[in-house]
Amino acid sequence: MRLHVMPTKRFKTFAISLYAGVPLAESSVTTTALTPFVLRRGTQATPETLAFRERLDNLYGAGFGFDIYKRGDAQIVQFRMDVINDQFVSSGTPLLAAALKLLGEIVTDPALEDGVFRGKYVAAEKMTLQKRLEAIINDKIRYAAERCLAEMCRNEPYRLHALGKLDDLPGISSESLYDAYRGWLGQAELDLYVAGDTTLAEVEQLAAEAFRLEPSAGAGAGYARSEVGQAAEEPRTVIETLDVSQGKLNMGLRTHIGYADEAYPALLMYNGILGGYPHSKLFLNVREKASLAYYAASRLDGHKGICTIQSGIEIANFEQAKTIILAQLQSMKEGQISELELSQTRAMISNQLREMQDSAFEMISYDFNSVLSGKSRTAAELISAIEAADVEQIVQVADKVELDTIYFLRGKEAQLA
Amino acid sequence: MKTLAYPVVQETLYYEQMPNGLSVYVLPKKGFQKTYATFTTRFGSVDNQFSLPGEQTTRVEDGIAHFLEHKMFEEPSGDIFATFASQGASANAFTSFDRTAYLFSATEQIPANLTTLLDFVQNPYFTDENVEKEKGIIEQEINMYKDNPDWRVYTGLIDALYHEHPVHIDIAGSVESIRRITKESLYQCYRTFYHPSNMLLFVVGGVDKDEIMELVRHNQASKSFGESPQITRLLEPEPDAVKLPIKRSELAVSLPKMMFGFKETVLPADSEQLLRREVASKLMLEALLGPSSKLYQQLYDDDLISDSFGSEYNSSASYGFTMIGGDTRDPEALLAAIRSAIEEKLATGIAADDFERVRRKRIGGYLRMLNSPETIANEFTRYQFRGNNLFELLPLYESVTLEQVNERMREHFRWDQMAVSIVDKAKT
Repeated sequence: MRLHVMPTKRFKTFAISLYAGVPLAESSVTTTALTPFVLRRGTQATPETLAFRERLDNLYGAGFGFDIYKRGDAQIVQFRMDVINDQFVSSGTPLLAAALKLLGEIVTDPALEDGVFRGKYVAAEKMTLQKRLEAIINDKIRYAAERCLAEMCRNEPYRLHALGKLDDLPGISSESLYDAYRGWLGQAELDLYVAGDTTLAEVEQLAAEAFRLEPSAGAGAGYARSEVGQAAEEPRTVIETLDVSQGKLNMGLRTHIGYADEAYPALLMYNGILGGYPHSKLFLNVREKASLAYYAASRLDGHKGICTIQSGIEIANFEQAKTIILAQLQSMKEGQISELELSQTRAMISNQLREMQDSAFEMISYDFNSVLSGKSRTAAELISAIEAADVEQIVQVADKVELDTIYFLRGKEAQLA
Repeated sequence: MKTLAYPVVQETLYYEQMPNGLSVYVLPKKGFQKTYATFTTRFGSVDNQFSLPGEQTTRVEDGIAHFLEHKMFEEPSGDIFATFASQGASANAFTSFDRTAYLFSATEQIPANLTTLLDFVQNPYFTDENVEKEKGIIEQEINMYKDNPDWRVYTGLIDALYHEHPVHIDIAGSVESIRRITKESLYQCYRTFYHPSNMLLFVVGGVDKDEIMELVRHNQASKSFGESPQITRLLEPEPDAVKLPIKRSELAVSLPKMMFGFKETVLPADSEQLLRREVASKLMLEALLGPSSKLYQQLYDDDLISDSFGSEYNSSASYGFTMIGGDTRDPEALLAAIRSAIEEKLATGIAADDFERVRRKRIGGYLRMLNSPETIANEFTRYQFRGNNLFELLPLYESVTLEQVNERMREHFRWDQMAVSIVDKAKT
């Protein structure tokens, strides 16, 4: 396990993140997703969920949670804990040590029966994961964004949802999940971060006591670079119908540039000028000029090299909104970028990068980018590169960007004008 | 400038009231890169009937406070987002039941950004044309929320609880009500509620308190606002009973969503009571229904709730209610199970060790919240408008007793004061 410690006195808490990453794969995506749900139910020392949660409460309400997501072609499980710095409360036990001990138990010493996960926990958490997968449809903004990506990447691992596949769930047993967990723990890249009023030496000692791992575990060859597929000759349009009031127009673009590339800062500028901010082309033209939408924006997955566009529009305005968005993509290719757009976007990106320093978890996630990509780039270096990116470099990015998929989620009865 | 020291949480706040009535608070955060500033008026969606001395009562359109928030960003020189962007600041705004806040965060050009914030909010520019143009945008915002099941179940419950109190009206209004909004009605609300004496500026981050205060003093001295309006906010009398015992709607969802809540009938006498009631109510909900309660675990084991289950307490001087619920396969069974568990607790009371545990948890949550400049600014303003102080919550959490929480529970859970809101799965 690789340790990353960020000593600082700025916060009233210790922030802890453990990243466990494996390649995104059809055969393991669901068991990997289910694992943290079962791990959060209890540990060998505190096997009952109720007692386990009381233990967290007694650490002054230590926050514990996990996220499962895709970065590039990796499936990442991020465990998060934050616990307050002892100096603010009259606590008998050192809270950082207690929090790391608990996290170590959760990940490496879970509650078992007959040498495998407890059947009751596995059954309940299968149900929970099933509900989570089925609930994706509830939030139409996210649903449209994820459907667009799934259509676009239908021939790549990236099509898989980070939470796995519904069809896999019935076939998972306590035994098979425990085997998968052991395999996952043996194979995953493990990166433990602590930010707060501590030192590397202290965390080294605490982590060694807290995690039951082989010394070499979790520090493998690192993450592989994501494959970036080719776009189709012509963009593909996918239209889906659901019971909705508002239509969701999304687009997926392949940029062929990743976090580790020299051109990455220019790609950030491209995304910012196109749709990252309220001064960007999409917001100005779709919302402010045409009054077609409340939101119209673009977003980047820098590790996968995919840029996506999302907007919520009147269903009848599909063609008009599409035409306006395509015109913005074209104007990026033609280099129609003003000095003002450049300076505003530079200022906004630089500001975001500087603001990260005020949040322990944001500092941690930024640093994890370098682990994921194998490219170390400090925030200050990225800011200098952003400052240096000019229209020519941004047009070079625009030349590589290919529109792959247009996705439209529409209501049942509305008519297309 | 006054110095307000809170040694327990290691924070020092600086305060000054400007001659025009504006309240200014500065909270320096050592080592922070960012400055976050909010400029907030005590004008929210509930302020829909008001009068000034010698004037007739005005009843404004639903959604006007939110509409005004949108329109403030337009200046004769163009969109103010562009100005903030040029100065490296990300700007935003939000409208809630009781206030409208304008804000930015930035790491550079703080004087310029603070000046922009003060100037754009203090310079309304509405035309017939720009008001018309905004209607299409807000209509899409309303439609976006219409498709959001969490929002629908939430607003549905408040609508079921209240007959008259404007808290039951959607903050954004309706497509019909916003169509009736004119530049004249916007200016009228602006003149009434955007006087500096009705507003609060909060600046937090790696700032120098003297520089900030000096900038605000100069900025405000250069403008004239006239006399502070003596606003009377009017509320129709609210019956004790809930409006509807149950309210249902349908959307494309994977499972039904259900929330239920209890309407307070006795309102707190003053802000001190309001705050004590809020603290006791939150501890009560956490002890009864929090993720480490026996009830939560039992409902989870019975597959009646998922991780989406939660509870909250909402209150002001003129309303108060709980909200409890989440996704469930069987709303009726969930409600019945919670009801019988609460009745049992009403008889036995909350156990002492459960109470101590949730108290610890909430103290930890409170301290953790103080890491976030955004939350500090927003919560401080919210409490201040109600006459409370965010930085004085810790002693309250430490001094509240189990007896008080048990009493709160017996006073709050009255089944004839309950309403239920359900978003069902749309039939396909």
